Amino acid sequence: MSIITNLNKLFDSRIRLGIMSILSVNDSVDFSTMKELLELTDGNLASHLKALESANYIQTTKQFIGRKPNTKYQISALGKRDFKEHLDALEKLIR
Amino acid sequence: MHLKVLLIMNIVMKKQLEDIKAIREMMEKSSKFQAINGLSLIIAGLIAVAGAVFAYFYLLRNPSLTHFNRTQETLILLACALLVLGLAVGTITLFSWLKAKKNKQNLFSKVTLRAAYNLMIPLVVGGIFSLVLIYHGLIGYVASTTLIFYGLALINASKFTFGEIHVLGICEIIIGLLAAIYLYHGLYWWTVGFGVCHIIFGVIMYFKYDV
Repeated sequence: MSIITNLNKLFDSRIRLGIMSILSVNDSVDFSTMKELLELTDGNLASHLKALESANYIQTTKQFIGRKPNTKYQISALGKRDFKEHLDALEKLIR
Repeated sequence: MHLKVLLIMNIVMKKQLEDIKAIREMMEKSSKFQAINGLSLIIAGLIAVAGAVFAYFYLLRNPSLTHFNRTQETLILLACALLVLGLAVGTITLFSWLKAKKNKQNLFSKVTLRAAYNLMIPLVVGGIFSLVLIYHGLIGYVASTTLIFYGLALINASKFTFGEIHVLGICEIIIGLLAAIYLYHGLYWWTVGFGVCHIIFGVIMYFKYDV
């Protein structure tokens, strides 16, 4: 079954799929918005973000709003490509 | 053996289907303003109809029931229109707030601000332009102007919300153009555009998203 192999292991978790979905339709999203949308705890979300970041699927920008640190996430070109591939594979599989 | 494979395939498929559903939901939730309540559109439409009925029977009917002169009538009409607008916007905002609260969503998110910004540009321009028309005494054109600019505003904002809003915008523009052609029946077209259209789309959206 060659189509199975096109499914990306990194996107196996529903949370990572959620992160990639959010980032693929928004220019950039900050941590707290993402947390609210996915209804997750800080630690849980952070670990999944880290995994996606180390795969170079997302980029982070850190800045300060006043004294509060604010981290924004964006999807990378590689992330966009691989996420699309994953979606195509999913689509093929259910057809 | 064969049956086992089929069963496993079934389970795999189910997970993929659920994945796709989750992806879709996240994309919509993060990029679209979903707090519009169909019921609030119906109420806004009813308020518009009530305002129009008041304007027709109190001021515009021939012979008029009042002894106001033209300027006074215009001012009362304007006040009535602003009151209708305020009540309608207030109702929609209140219901949106309640729906967002029920769904545990933040009403004033980035998406809401983006939708509101895109809605406001044509709306503010149309509002100012209508005031200019009134200033020049071209009251006959106000109904079509407000309808057309309102339609453009809805289409502009519809990228960030339900698809029905786009269609509603197109309807408002068509009615606005008709109001410009049949210039002396402005109030009827205004009632159809702001009243009847909102009620119809409110009913559609209520049954599609809220029930």
